[in-house]
Amino acid sequence: MKETRKWILHRVSATILAPLFAWFYFSLISLSEKNYQEAINFFENPLFKTLTIALFFVGFFHAKISLNEIFDDYIHDKKIKDVANILSLILSIVVPVIIFILLVYKI
Amino acid sequence: MTDNQNPISPHLQIYRWHISSLLSITHRITGVVNLLALILMFVWILTFSFNENNYELFLLTTNSFFGKFILIGFTWSMSFHILSGIRHLAWDIGYGFEIKTAKISGILVILSSLVTTIIFWLLARGLI
Repeated sequence: MKETRKWILHRVSATILAPLFAWFYFSLISLSEKNYQEAINFFENPLFKTLTIALFFVGFFHAKISLNEIFDDYIHDKKIKDVANILSLILSIVVPVIIFILLVYKI
Repeated sequence: MTDNQNPISPHLQIYRWHISSLLSITHRITGVVNLLALILMFVWILTFSFNENNYELFLLTTNSFFGKFILIGFTWSMSFHILSGIRHLAWDIGYGFEIKTAKISGILVILSSLVTTIIFWLLARGLI
């Protein structure tokens, strides 16, 4: 990915992510006092389900770009840096896909 | 890279600490902490979607002293990263570069992240 595009996408994802993260975390703290059924009701709501899936896709995308930047600054061995970048790429794809499958087909 | 003696960037142990450098590294650290929080949220959804009993474990953990401590820490980390991120976005569109302004906005980020954490927590727990 070109550096300029990466820079722009990082800012765009941050702007989308901030309200999503705050909303989901707020919901999680509220749910920490409620029972299992209320948590299931929360995730059965189509809007909440969509927003949660969006949170994981945008969140891990934003994290992936940020981690690349951190690895560039602190890891100086090219091989280790490449491995770290591949692992972060796998993480940023696998986790949101599992969340999508769980929320769409399981809950 | 052929010369491994090149200086390592950023020089955290060499430069004298300023509010700007403190906020810069804290922004990165809180970003990584937020990623950990997101991974834990993933584990939370993953475990309770398979077994109702796992939800009881979540309730027990989050309502313990240690659990609350961690959740409040995550709340501060999120607040700080978002507020500091807004400061970065202001810089990106060309505002707030003057040294005095950057110092004031830095202090504002620290103070408002603490206030936001308290208000966020009280609202989420239905205490206000």
